[in-house]
Parts: sequence; structure tokens; C-alpha cells
Amino acid sequence: MAEGAAEEDDKAGKAQGQRQGQREGQREGQRRFAQWVRDYRRLPGIPDEFLGPDGKPRAVWSRFFDAFGALAPDEVERRFGMADRHLREAGVTYRAPGESADRPWSISHLPLLIDEADWKQLSDGITQRAELLELVLRDIYGEGRLVAEGALPAAAIAGSPEYLRPVCGVPPPGGRYLSLYAADVGRGPDGRWWVLGDRTQAPSGAGYALENRLVLSRAFSDLYKSMNVPRVAPFFEAFRDSLRARADRDEPRIGVLTPGSFSETYFEHATLARYLGFLLVEGDDLAVSDDHIHIRTVAGLKRLDVLLRRVDSNSLDPLELDASSRLGVAGLIDVLRKDGVVVANMPGSGVLEARALLGFLPALSRRLLGEELKMPHIATWWCGQRSARDEVLSRLDEVAIEGAYRRGVPGFDSNGPVLASELDAAGRQRLIDAIAARGMDYVGQEVVRLSTMPVWEQGQITPRPFVLRVFAAATTDGWAIMPGGFCRIAEQADARAVSMGDGARSADVWVVSDKQVSTATLLPAIDKVRIRRIAGVLPSRAADNLFWLGRYLERAEATLRLVRALGSPSGPNKGTAASLQSAERIQRLLVTWGAISQTSRAAPGRIVAEALQSPERFGSALSLVRAAQRTATSLRERLSPDAWQVITEMAERLAWEVEGDDSVLSAAELTLQELASFAGLAHENMNRAAGWRFLDIGRRTERAINTTRFARQFAYDEAGDEDLDILLTLVDCQITYRSRYLLAPILAPVRDLAVLDSYNPRSVAFQVTTLNEHIAALPSLKEHGLIEKPQRLAVAMQAMLATAEAEKLEVKTLFALEQDLLSLAEAVGQHYFPHGPNASRPEKLTGLA
Amino acid sequence: MIYDIRHVTTYEYESPVSFARCTLRLEPRSGNGQELISHHVEIRPRPAERSVRRDFFGTLTESVVIEAAHRNLRIDSRSRVSVTRQPRARAAVSPGWESIRDIAFEATSLGPSSPVGYVFASPLVPVLGPVSAYAAESFVAGAGILAGAVDLMHRIRTEFRYDPKATVISTPLNEVFAKRHGVCQDFAHVMIAGLRGLGLPAAYVSGYLRTIPPAGQPRLQGADATHAWVSLWCGEELGWVDFDPTNDLMVASDHIVLAVGRDFSDVSPVDGIIVGSRKQKLDVAVDVLLVE
Repeated sequence: MAEGAAEEDDKAGKAQGQRQGQREGQREGQRRFAQWVRDYRRLPGIPDEFLGPDGKPRAVWSRFFDAFGALAPDEVERRFGMADRHLREAGVTYRAPGESADRPWSISHLPLLIDEADWKQLSDGITQRAELLELVLRDIYGEGRLVAEGALPAAAIAGSPEYLRPVCGVPPPGGRYLSLYAADVGRGPDGRWWVLGDRTQAPSGAGYALENRLVLSRAFSDLYKSMNVPRVAPFFEAFRDSLRARADRDEPRIGVLTPGSFSETYFEHATLARYLGFLLVEGDDLAVSDDHIHIRTVAGLKRLDVLLRRVDSNSLDPLELDASSRLGVAGLIDVLRKDGVVVANMPGSGVLEARALLGFLPALSRRLLGEELKMPHIATWWCGQRSARDEVLSRLDEVAIEGAYRRGVPGFDSNGPVLASELDAAGRQRLIDAIAARGMDYVGQEVVRLSTMPVWEQGQITPRPFVLRVFAAATTDGWAIMPGGFCRIAEQADARAVSMGDGARSADVWVVSDKQVSTATLLPAIDKVRIRRIAGVLPSRAADNLFWLGRYLERAEATLRLVRALGSPSGPNKGTAASLQSAERIQRLLVTWGAISQTSRAAPGRIVAEALQSPERFGSALSLVRAAQRTATSLRERLSPDAWQVITEMAERLAWEVEGDDSVLSAAELTLQELASFAGLAHENMNRAAGWRFLDIGRRTERAINTTRFARQFAYDEAGDEDLDILLTLVDCQITYRSRYLLAPILAPVRDLAVLDSYNPRSVAFQVTTLNEHIAALPSLKEHGLIEKPQRLAVAMQAMLATAEAEKLEVKTLFALEQDLLSLAEAVGQHYFPHGPNASRPEKLTGLA
Repeated sequence: MIYDIRHVTTYEYESPVSFARCTLRLEPRSGNGQELISHHVEIRPRPAERSVRRDFFGTLTESVVIEAAHRNLRIDSRSRVSVTRQPRARAAVSPGWESIRDIAFEATSLGPSSPVGYVFASPLVPVLGPVSAYAAESFVAGAGILAGAVDLMHRIRTEFRYDPKATVISTPLNEVFAKRHGVCQDFAHVMIAGLRGLGLPAAYVSGYLRTIPPAGQPRLQGADATHAWVSLWCGEELGWVDFDPTNDLMVASDHIVLAVGRDFSDVSPVDGIIVGSRKQKLDVAVDVLLVE
């Protein structure tokens, strides 16, 4: 009894202590919050999201900062660090135009908060706008009544490079033009949300919004839950389902068409493909056949039903659109005419991004929807109309000049708006002349002071302008709006020109609700799921990349093993004649592999460093790992974040300059461990569908080639202890050998272990056996009933290795085996990746015909 | 006048081509003083698929797929056309160009013959300040549309050098303009760019030109070529009027129209992609024979 009572007391005491702590924390939090409000310097004359006109925090932000302030400063920093680390580790990147390196994604750690009632207005406005734009597209490319009846000037359409004449009169397969629509919005001085621009071509940002949400909701999970923020998953689910429903097959195949890994937003394409369960495809992966689009896969051509495109319309078909484009597929437009593929959004939808159209939308809304536009857009005067042109010229210093049809102002070297007030006298006159001569190419837009939102900077919050992109997906039950969006924060005062390329940050967007929200994930309702075990088809290009990823990593491993053998104090550099010869052999191999230069006769230490991390040598471990990294970049949707992280870490480690033999060796050692962990991840975590097999085929082929080469070099007929010992080290068989033979290395047993022993996972025979298993399991393309070349080569090699005897093995047999392995690699390439990097690509017919 | 036209396009490849997908725009159009009497295209190797349709501009467009491996592709097009086109007088009185510009812009149709589709930059014809300024010299305030266009055409003929080796299809317009040389296609593009720079609706015409051999010499077979010129919309009354800046000619019955578009990319007679050979040699032979 007494004990129990004591326990109770203790509990009560603890609880009281906790409550006290909480209260203190709350007081601290309130103090911090008050401090933040005091230090927040609103920009003069500009509305703000956080503070109302009365200088008091708005309700949603108070709720947020009450809870946020309760976190101790170091806890806040810890969580921000967690968010940043997650982004880095997940490899979230984007690329600035014209740059070849990925930039890490930068997230502002505070979300943009939008009150539920406010959001309702915003989403109603976007829904109406999406519907209106769909109707306008239908008319422009269909009957053309809006133009014929004078509701829309023909010139406002004809001037757009996105007005695609080849699709005029072609009904969009699947029934609609817009599947995904986005609008850039900002809050104007009157407190209402204003549309700044429409994105109807191939809106980007939804994938980044998703990534931002994952990161922030994880870093501040308690806060996130307490704010009742609706999840974004149901939006993506609805989007995916609607794309599926638009195809005319039950189990449609859907691809995300990306320009490729050099694209600014490639990471996003990969994210969306993985998240939605679509295939990530490039133009080269596709072919037109039988009035449909097909994917080139390792199992032959497979029909594709829906393309979610991230390639601009004009690049989609070199036959009917931009002839110089290699990003699309020749014949796509003709397939659309034959109703053979659903493309989202329909090519030509981008015509509505023209600013020239903005001014006509209120009247079009009344005409087509019978209602007023719910959301205003930024005041825009299209200078194709005389009155508007006069207006703009008379108020030139008060408006921003923009291109009427596309980004950039014609005749002016600017990506964003041109402000007359910032031009010199000559520039100003040039602008006036240009507008007077070809007014139709220009619009004037009101310079709006958009609202600012708080961002975190060194323990304080400061206001920054932002642009919010809101997404709408067409579903079978009307438009679904993503609750949240993609928010970009500008460092400069005018947020309209904001682009991620300028080092801007993005922020998550929380719609804050008073009610509890449901916690749907992307898992569909149980009754809709059909059990599937094999994940779709494997495009040849992806198989090709997996194959090369396996080969690069395995070659890197072999190079590291050579480096380790050469540099190791117990290795061949002991100064004896025999050991010098062995060192010489290793060096020769490194020269042949391009890991060190021909003329390297430097100290072994220098050679080792060169082979490890010289960026100039294509065969150095660094170059190989970088090649693997480049290849992996094109496989982002197929690699786990862990696997990607291991590759990134290896590349980073090898790029560090290291000094001294010990450091070089330990860098090699650590990298070998990382390679082993990548192999482990692949082995344990990768689905055993065809993709994994190609990764392993690449690895096994390369290992077999390298081991055969090692055996030739170090187990030649007159090989001495030193060389045989090196071979055992290179193929990691020292322990096995010693446990089996208890002798110094002898030629035949060493050869047996390295080449013939099919129980040794590093022997050539083991690799060839595994290759045979893989090849037998791959889809057959044969139409003629004959055994296919890869299989023929692999079976023959396996038979040879199974029947060979170590004592009678000749070096020339090893040489022939190496040649056969190289032929096998080539045969696999030709058979399964006929459109790999070396294969023939479609070429344009040239010349003035 | 009735012409028999033979237009043979031959591609020779260094290595075998396993697949080809081509678009052909080889049928001369009817209308505007021209009537197609007969037309036939023979393709070797024989295509696996052939289908025809009219494109946006009204040009008969044939899509062809060849699946047989080949080293030679030969497209042999024969047409018989009757042409009864009267030339416009160079000095004819016409409306002021500014009024044409304003009327064209107000057109309420997006159709292929609506002038508003031809006042903007197109894939191969950007609107460039210097080219617009060059054209403006021919179009003084209040000048007649025909007079302005004739003057511009004449200046291009005299100030640009005809040089078949100087340019290829991909030579950008600003280079052609800066170096003042090129072929019919380049001159047409320069004139179009200048006219559009002023807001005037200008189209690109591809076709053939009957060549008359120097006195006493026989006509050489295959010596003719495909040709290109400019069509300018000159108001409701005059309609589209064709100018040939390469020859400083008002287009009449020596010109046979194949297709009309915004620039060469809309009308290219043979276009396509092949799989298999990077190296290719193109030969185009055209014969325009006066039948009667």
C-alpha cells in the first residue's frame, strides 16, 4: 500500500512538474511570439499575410505562432535542420536554365497559412476559371464562334506560338483539353486574391509542393496535426484516377513525358512518376505504330494510353511542329487525329497563357458560363487594341510592359517585365516606337503591390513578397483543387518575376481549418485495388541505364580494389623484384582502364591518388562513380532515396582532396564499404522485377570481365606467390583459400577459386551462372523460335566453365572467355536496348527538298 | 497555259535506313487562276502505309511510312496544271498600306486565308527590328500597298546577292539579312519579315517557275528548281497578291503554286524522319514543261 501510494504521489508530482514546465514553456512562447511581432517590419504600403491592417497578427497565424513559439529556439533549429537534411538526402533538386549542375532545393521553413474561408473563395475562383478556360479552348480549336462573333479578337489567338494549327479541328482524345491547370495568384491591396497568370501548357510545381509538404509535415508533425491542415494526397489520387478513366482500356498504361535529366524540373517529373505510379518516359522511348503511341520496352513495343506531358507542345512532334526538336515523337499529332492517345494537357492548350487574352476573360465568362468572374486578374491592357495602346502609352511609367504572347518582351533582352521608368531615354523611345509599330506584341500590366508573408531569418521573422501557384485537376466529378500549392518567395520587391532559377525559396502552403481533417493517403480505397506483383513494363532506356549503373559501380569497385592492393603496406611495394613486377602489372591494368595516365611513373602514392580521384582520368574511381551518378539521375523514379544517397556520398567523398597514403587508402576503403552497402540495398530492397535484373546483369557482366582480366594478369602460367596473392586479394578470396588449402598460393587452386568455382560468389563461373538465370527470366522477343544471342553466349560459357579443369586451363582460354563476355554485354545491349545511347536515333531528312 | 511538272526527290544514305516516316506536300493547289488537272506520286521503296489529308492551310498532305530497309528513297511526283493568272500592274493604284494593316488586324477569322494569321512571327521568320526598318523605307506614310511592296521587292532583288552556296535551310534570317545573300527561300523570308514588321499580312508560297532557256539553246532536263515567293494581302478588293523578290516579278502564269503557309516550315514539299543513317545526300530535280 505504502509503496503504491508513493508511486501515486510520484506520478502526481511528475504530472505537476510537467504542467508547470508546459506553463513556463507557454509563457516563454508567448514572450517570443510578442517579440517576433514587435520586430516584424512590414513594408510600407504593402498588405501582409501575418499582420492585419491594425498591426495585430491574424487569427490563423496566432494559432500557429502560439504553438511554434512554445518550441525552444534550439528545438526550432533542430527541426529546420531536419527538414533541410531530408531534402538533401532525398536529393530534391532543380536546375537553373543553362546550368548543368543540380541545385539543392531551398525551402522556407515557415508555411504560408491560409484561412479556410479565405481558401474557399480562392478555390471557387480557380475552379470557375479552369472551367472557363476549358470552354474557351474547345471553341478556339473547334467551332471558332468566339472569334467569328467578335467576342475574342482573332489576333489575340493567332499571335501565340502556342496556337497550334495542326490540331485545329482535332477533338482532344479523352474528351478534354485541360487535365491539370494552375494559376499564379497573389493577394492585392484590396485583400482579395488576384490571378497573375494562367498555366495551361504543362504546369510545374505540383511535385515540389508535394515534396515541401512531406518535409514540413514531418519536421513539425505535432504543429501540422494541431492546425487541421487538409492533406494533398487525395488531390493527386483524384488526378491519377481521372487520367486513368480517360483512357479507353481498363488497365491503362500512363507515362510522364519528360525532356530528360537536363530539364530544370527533372526531379519533379521523377517524383510525380513515382508517386502516381506512372512510367517516366522520354521522346526516344516512344514510337508510333498502328495509330497508337508505344513504349520501347525490354519486352518489345507496349502501347501507351495516356501521356502526362512536361514537354512543351511545339516540341512534341518533329514532323508537324518544331522540326528540330528531339524531345517528342514523330507522328504524335497524327495519332491524336486518330484518337490513339490521350495527352494531358492537349497540345495547343498553352495558347491560353497569352497575356493578350486576360482582358477578354470577364466578358467570356458572362458569355460562356453566364456568370461574373469570381476572381479578378491583374489589370492588363493589350496594345493590339488602339484604346488600350493609347492608355498604356499615356501611363507608361505606371505600368509594367510584358510580351503579349510569351515570356519576355519582344525586342528587349529581359525575361521579366520591362519598366519604362528603369530605361534610359533611348531605351524608352525604343519601347514607345515598338509599341506604336507592333502594339499587338505587347501588354501593359498594372504594377500591383502584392502582399508579403513571414519568412524565418536568424531567429526572427521578416516579410517577403511571394507568388502562390494553385493547382486544379479535372476529375470525373468536376475540378479538384489541391488544398495548398506551390509558393515561391521572392528576395526582390516585385514577386511577379520570381523564378526558382534566381535563388528563390519555396514554401509549403497550409490551409488551416477549425475542423479535424481525414487522413487519406495515396493508397486507394481497398475495394478498388487489384493485387499486382510485377510493376508494369520496363522501358529499354531505363533497362539500359540500370545495366550501365551496375557496370560503372562494379568497375569502380574493381578499380578501388586495385588501388587498395597497390597502396597497401602488405601489398606489392615491399621492394623485392617480384613485388615490383606485380606493382608494375597493377599499374599497367590501371593505365589500360584509363585510371592513370600512360606516363605515370610517379611514386606509388601519387599513382594511387590519381587512380582514386583524378577528375581528368575517365577510369578513375571518381570518374566512374560520377558516371554512375549521372546514369542514376535518369533513374530517379526507380531508385530508393537510400540508394541515391549512397551514390551521392561516394561521389562527394572521392571528390575531396586527400593527402597522404593513409588517407587515400582509407578513402578507398570507405568507398568500398559504401559500394557494398549499395549492393546490399539493391539486393535486399529492390523489387525482383526486370529492372533489378538489368542492374544485376550489368554488375555480373562487369565483374566476370574484370575477374577474368585479373586471372589473366595475375594467374598466368608462370605466376609466382606474389601475383597469386594479389589475385586472391582482388577477388576477396584470401580467407576461403587459406581455409581450404592451408598453403601458400598455388596456380591451379587459385585459378579454380577465381574462375571455375561456381560456389564462390566472386568467381567468373558464379557470375555466368547468375547471368544465365537472369537471361532465362527475361521476356523473350523471339518470333523465330530460335535461341536468342545473349542466351546462346551465356549458355555456352556456362557449359565451358562447368566442364573446364583448373589444371588444364590455359591463358588463351581465359582470353577467349573475356572476349565472349564482352560479346555478351554487346548482345544484351542490342537485344534489349535497341535505342540505347549508341543505337540509331531518328534523323531528320535534310536539305531543301 | 498548261504545264507538265515532274519533281523528283532522291535521298541516298550511307548506311541502310530501316524506317522512314515522311510528310509530302507535292500536289499543286487549285484556285487563284490555277487548276490542277492530274497528279500522281510514286515512291520507292514501296511504302507500308500511305494516307492523305488536307492540312490547316488546305494543302494536300500525304503521310508515308516505309518499313523496308533501303539505301535510296525516291519520290517521283508528276502533275499537270493549267495556269491562267493575269499579273497585277506594278504601278496600279491601291489603298494606303496603313489602312490594309488596320483592316487585316481586325479580321474575325482564324482560318487559313484570314490575313490575321500572317502578321505575326512564325517559326522561321522572326520579327526583327533592322529588317522592319529596312522595309519601312519602302512604305512611306500614305504609300499604296502595291507600290510599297513592289519597291521592297525591287530593293531585295537589287541589294541582295543570289548565292545558292551561301545558305542552308537552317541559316537564321538575321544572318541572311546581315550578309545580304541567299536563295529564293531566304529572299522570300526577308520580305515577309519586313512586311510583318510593319504589321502587314505576308504569306510564303512554294511552287515552281517555268524557266525560259536563253535564245538558241535547248531547255536542259531537270534544270528547273522548286521556287518560293511572297503573297501579300492587299485588302478585300485586291485580295492576296504574289510578289517574287528573287526575280523582281509580279507573279503571273510562269509561276505554279504548290502550297501556301506562314513560312517554309509550313509548306516544305518533302519532310520526314528516318531511322538508320546520319549521312544523307539529297537530290532534287524539277522539270516544268509547257504543254500548250
